[in-house]
Amino acid sequence: MTNVPGRIREHFSNWRQWELNPVVVKELRQAVRSWAVTGMLLLFLAVLFCTALGLLITQTVQFHVDQRVGASIFQVFTGILTGASLLFIPLYVGVRLAAERQDANLDLLYITTLTPARIIRGKFLCGAYMTVLFFSACMPFMAFTNLLRGVDLPTVAFILVCLFAVVCIAVQIAIFVACLPISRLFKVLLALFGIGWIMPAIAWLTFVFYSMMQSGVGSLMGTSNFWNGFFLFFSLALAGTILLYLLSVALISPPSANRAFALRGYLTCAWLIGCLVALYWVFKIRTAQVILVWGLISLSLLALAMVVVVSNHDALSLRVRRDIPANPFKRATALLFFNGAAGGIIWISLLSFITVGVMLIVLHGATDRTPAFQTMSTDDLDEFTVSIIPTVLYALAYALTGLFLQRRFMPRRSPKLAGIFTVLIPAVLALAPNIALFFANRLSFRAMEATQFGNVFNIYMVHNWPQRTAHLICAAIWIIIAVLLNARWFANQIKAFRPLEKWTPAPPPLPGNIPPVMQTGEGVS
Amino acid sequence: MKVQVKNLRKEFGNTVAVDNISFSFDSGHVFGFVGPNGAGKTTTMRIISTIEEPTDGDVLLNGISVREQPELARKAVGYVPDSLPAHADITVHEYLDFYARAYGLRGRKRTQAVDAIEEFTNVGGIRDKHLKALSKGMKQRVSLGRALVYDPDVLILDEPAAGLDPRARVELRELLGLLAERKKAILISSHILTELTEICNGVVIIERGKLLETGTIEEVLRKSAPRRTVAIRTLELNQTPALLKALLETPSVENPRAVGNEVHFELGAEEAAACEILAQLIARGMRIVEFRQTKADLEDIFMNVTKGGVQ
Repeated sequence: MTNVPGRIREHFSNWRQWELNPVVVKELRQAVRSWAVTGMLLLFLAVLFCTALGLLITQTVQFHVDQRVGASIFQVFTGILTGASLLFIPLYVGVRLAAERQDANLDLLYITTLTPARIIRGKFLCGAYMTVLFFSACMPFMAFTNLLRGVDLPTVAFILVCLFAVVCIAVQIAIFVACLPISRLFKVLLALFGIGWIMPAIAWLTFVFYSMMQSGVGSLMGTSNFWNGFFLFFSLALAGTILLYLLSVALISPPSANRAFALRGYLTCAWLIGCLVALYWVFKIRTAQVILVWGLISLSLLALAMVVVVSNHDALSLRVRRDIPANPFKRATALLFFNGAAGGIIWISLLSFITVGVMLIVLHGATDRTPAFQTMSTDDLDEFTVSIIPTVLYALAYALTGLFLQRRFMPRRSPKLAGIFTVLIPAVLALAPNIALFFANRLSFRAMEATQFGNVFNIYMVHNWPQRTAHLICAAIWIIIAVLLNARWFANQIKAFRPLEKWTPAPPPLPGNIPPVMQTGEGVS
Repeated sequence: MKVQVKNLRKEFGNTVAVDNISFSFDSGHVFGFVGPNGAGKTTTMRIISTIEEPTDGDVLLNGISVREQPELARKAVGYVPDSLPAHADITVHEYLDFYARAYGLRGRKRTQAVDAIEEFTNVGGIRDKHLKALSKGMKQRVSLGRALVYDPDVLILDEPAAGLDPRARVELRELLGLLAERKKAILISSHILTELTEICNGVVIIERGKLLETGTIEEVLRKSAPRRTVAIRTLELNQTPALLKALLETPSVENPRAVGNEVHFELGAEEAAACEILAQLIARGMRIVEFRQTKADLEDIFMNVTKGGVQ
């Protein structure tokens, strides 16, 4: 927070003193000594060699000469490279990090000049360097396919760049899972689940790369559609990877760190850029519904963020308080981005309301300009408006109610309970009426389409206008009550959000303040 | 370098781990940090090392507050935890090099620092050995080397002698002596109190997070065990009744008693009184062959002042 531009300027002006990230050096030293990496690399080379030999021998005994033998062999190599790098490297990086997280001396790193961000970057770069190592091992074989015809160099380069990016994303996902504060068993289960997903991903990627080779990437590179699609996917992948990186950094940061700052800052920037890009496309292709892609993704992410935010502790650490600005305006801004549930709830509420507002303005504005803009029908638009507003209000009301229940009735328990309540309340409200209907033997689609107040899912089951309006009124009343119930807590939190004052020892008690028991000598034997 | 712990308090939920403790030590001092298990020693040491934040109070390292400037303060502190490094596939040299890099040492400066530390901690001969292959004593040396690699002025050692064999303990003691000579301010916690008596010139005793005693060893001994026991042995055993009678007549002597072929008594006054008693006894014709004072040691003081309570 303090003088970031100055630190960046100093960093770049001292470029002669740059050194490799210590974590990368350590990890690579350990990797080259590891039997897992050496063994996997040897196996990989052996498989590539045997495959190339096998394919060339089968070609020599064929009667018709295949003019695209290079493409066929390249396709097989791509499959092997995808399988080896996508399965092994993320697993290796993730397992190593998860094992290190169990180390009792982990916090020794916090008293060095290494920051959690540098540690995660080091792990990620180690994965990236290992990917380069595997790609380099494969490179002579792939270059050889170009000599056999059937595949052009731009296609080879493009496919390798895409595969490299995919492996890097997988490495970041593995790092994120390794950082999660869950038991080793759950991490193993998550890893198995991930491997289960990687298998179809490998098949799908091999198919995509095959399609690229068939169509020839080189010929497509001159079209704007190709680059639009490429940059769209690349941007989304990059945004997701950065989010996972920041989440990993927050997870390994010490409890006293301002974990929320980078995450909330990044999400706000991504949200803003997403909005601008969506608006650009709305005007470019004159289709108002494009804004829904941004709006609905943003609201889904904010709903997830709300569960995390209400689970934050109320008390701020000294190191966070030290960074709180004294200026009231800056302090108000800092409240939104620093650790703490109160600021987080205000931040999410603000972004949610702006998101809904922008969506409705664009959609309604486009309706007024019809037929210049393609948009929803008036009925659909009204239905959307009267559905999205109570949905957002309900989501905020669940969070505020969960927060109130934990802070009011279980203040000594972990604030994570508030997050659990935030998930449980909508689940209970969605299930309880239908379970009751089931036991009353009255459960039917018609019964489920009746208004169930407080059930956010019911908004999308009811059919008529008055029912949706009833939900809107119910959500509005609930949120007013929830805000009133939490008003005192909010006020206390905002009041406590003050910069750290210089510590001064408490003055010794004055003679007049000596407790009476000491003055009278009572109880002194 | 002066380390001042001021009104330090640390709470974990409802538990008060450290309760308003204050003490200070200086460059060249080796201070023993003593207390039963769960007394709050590790928490205090972690706060001084900036790993934990205090709930209240502060620690000043030459005036730099760990509360307000932890980044600056941690440059002055080396922390050796009670658990040893357990990396499987890394050599001693690589481990020290990694931490030197992590502390921001660059180029030749880093190489020199690592070489110097390997020499100082005497791990040069095993620099290419994997950490997992080291004995506990050697791991402890590596751990100490890790904390010293960037030459901090303050060294915090949490139970460094635990589980070490006698030779490793002696070697550790020698290393600490050398560090004290190099003007490091050292705080060391241990349950082996005889060991601490030999290497420390000051002591801090805490229990249930509260400070019980602090000061130089002499001060604490004087405060907590003001009486000393004096043992006298005469050449002939038949002089014992006369010796006991003579001691009973001496005002500063308490509880004279025969213990085997010796006479023991408590002396509450200053050491000068012991000289006078000895002179009087010789003047009375006692043939004394042994006259010695048995001082209370740290273990006695520890047993006297603590109650054995944990939190």
